[in-house]
Amino acid sequence: MLKTNFLGLELKNPIIVAAGPWNRDGTALKESLASGAGAVVTESIVSDALLDVRPRIACDKNGAQNIRLYSDIQIEGWEREMSIAKSNGGIVIASVSAHTPSELVYLASKLEKFGADAIEISVSNPMGEGLEVVASHADVVYEMTKEVVSAVKLPVMVKLSQNTTNISKVAKAVKAAGGSCVSAINAVRGILGVDIESAQPTLSTYGGISGEYIRPLGLASVATISQTVDIPICGIGGISKGKHALEYMMLGASAVQIGTTVMVEGRESISGIIGEMEDWCEKHNIASIQDIRGKALENLKSFDEMKIEPAVSTVKSVPCTENCDKCRVACLYDAITREEDNVVVDSVKCSGCGLCTFICPAKKLKLEW
Amino acid sequence: MNIKQIAKAAGVSVATVSRVLNHPENVAPQTRDKILKIMEEEEYKPNWFAQGLNFNKTKTIGLVIPHMLNTMYMEIAKGVEDVAQQKGYITFMCNVEKNKDIEKNYIEQLLTRRVDGIILMFTSLDEKFIKSIEEQGVSVVLIGEDKCAEGFNTVKVDCRLGAEAMVSKLVENGHESIGILYGNDPKQESADMLAGYKNVLRENGIEIKDEYIKAVENTIEGGYLGAKKMMAGNPPKAIFTTSDEIAYGAMDAIKDNNLTVPDDIAVAGFGNARMSNLVEPKLTTVELPFHKMGVYGARLLFDLIEAEETREEPKEIILQTKLRIRKSCGHKERIGEMF
Repeated sequence: MLKTNFLGLELKNPIIVAAGPWNRDGTALKESLASGAGAVVTESIVSDALLDVRPRIACDKNGAQNIRLYSDIQIEGWEREMSIAKSNGGIVIASVSAHTPSELVYLASKLEKFGADAIEISVSNPMGEGLEVVASHADVVYEMTKEVVSAVKLPVMVKLSQNTTNISKVAKAVKAAGGSCVSAINAVRGILGVDIESAQPTLSTYGGISGEYIRPLGLASVATISQTVDIPICGIGGISKGKHALEYMMLGASAVQIGTTVMVEGRESISGIIGEMEDWCEKHNIASIQDIRGKALENLKSFDEMKIEPAVSTVKSVPCTENCDKCRVACLYDAITREEDNVVVDSVKCSGCGLCTFICPAKKLKLEW
Repeated sequence: MNIKQIAKAAGVSVATVSRVLNHPENVAPQTRDKILKIMEEEEYKPNWFAQGLNFNKTKTIGLVIPHMLNTMYMEIAKGVEDVAQQKGYITFMCNVEKNKDIEKNYIEQLLTRRVDGIILMFTSLDEKFIKSIEEQGVSVVLIGEDKCAEGFNTVKVDCRLGAEAMVSKLVENGHESIGILYGNDPKQESADMLAGYKNVLRENGIEIKDEYIKAVENTIEGGYLGAKKMMAGNPPKAIFTTSDEIAYGAMDAIKDNNLTVPDDIAVAGFGNARMSNLVEPKLTTVELPFHKMGVYGARLLFDLIEAEETREEPKEIILQTKLRIRKSCGHKERIGEMF
């Protein structure tokens, strides 16, 4: 039911464990595969591994910030790590990151020799590399992708960034250069917070924000690429539940990657997400997960296409004993009043904005006409 | 103890012990350490001579360095050695003092010692001579560009682009008179940087003045003397140097003239040597990926040494420079220092 053909590879499910420190070596990759993932991506492998700074990872309930740069294992060591990673079978995608096409070609060719099943080019690291990430320059991305595609026989996926004004333009460059797929989005440049007592930012420099914080950005990027470029997409950003993965797929993704949730919740989260997806498909009689791909795109409309209906907020199932007053306080049009155990909406004042339907903790309000 | 006994003691196959000796990077670190520990305890010494006969390899490479006291060359050498060590190779380092005859002599010596490959760093030798090394069955890799010697596996950096980015940054910072102190080595790279400097001035409509262009020794002293000469007339508001060492000397000369960096004269270097982040004011410079240059030089060489098939087309690895904006160039935007 979850079987997915992605990058020309047969994945048992569309859940791929993304590049990151949780996939830092062969053993970690093997464990991610053993936890049920359809495929795994290595932590980004670079030309010359540098020392890590300390501390480098911070998180709160909505996500994480990391300033860890890349794999600390040199390419020479990845021959050994790849064979460990693949010792029980499974699909391993090698993530490579570099500044010039010739470096990328060198790394990708080596990893092809070491047994990688596909290459992911990371050109969108939000920290350390420059104020403008490489992935915001479609011409550079084109050049890099083209060189790698012509040097290896493996499928090549390119990881894109939200830190660009027009992600479709970059995705088009990947397609024109012969790339097999794009993955979107990488962590977004950010600062998690500031300790106001010491005036100290959470981590000492700008980092990549991941997790819950970026899911809406990731969903929009995947939808945008789907609506402009005919290229397979791997959705990334804030997926911690089966529902999230399905959302990405309904907006056009063929597969998805998970990372922060694996880091914070452990590898059990992988089987958890897969289980939730299976349950949902069973419940909805979905024979193949690919049948839902792009379903929500049909309902994504332009302002011109949206029908203006005279809908107003309507209170369902009174009396309301919640006594929270949240709807009344939030109403932008002063349309909601409370009369003892009753919430009353003035249908003349109500403009049908919909806010109260999301605010109500008991879901007692609905837009209707 | 012999290799069989070591294998037995470690509970591994002879092949694994052999791999520790020949391809240590392919053995899991835990296993490798265990075997190495037993070898050490038992004082096991592999017979490299016998091994050399066996594989027709001596597991040694030569690294030819232009000038040992220049930290730039030593950082590149460190990159070469880091990879060589992982591969279980010994590196012979030859300091040729930028002298062609010494360089030729050292190479003869390396060949008689049957090295498996040679890395030439910013070589002064011509294509014919380098070809003759290859003809003797010894692999060669060049680090640094040489337009007179093409067709070899090479690691190079586009220094002209780096210089152009730096000089553009100085122009962007409002400097209208910019001087250059360019070193006499590495030759090709210094010439490329000078061309880049002139190009940026031309593009920005800034007059190119001979008195602002000085060829100097690529040393701290060279930078000092060059800056002194430049300040004897009407000094420029900014000086770009083709190495950090030259920049250190220039900063020293500016201070000796009772002027301040960057308020009176801004300084920008090239290379990003370790000291550049420690001098006062911290030196704005162009980062050359020294270590990576060495690492890739070694990688290309070992690829050639280990190649089982016939030789492929020579490979070229092109690396990129990066601006490192600090205080010495008088920039105003702190964000420039962050990325």
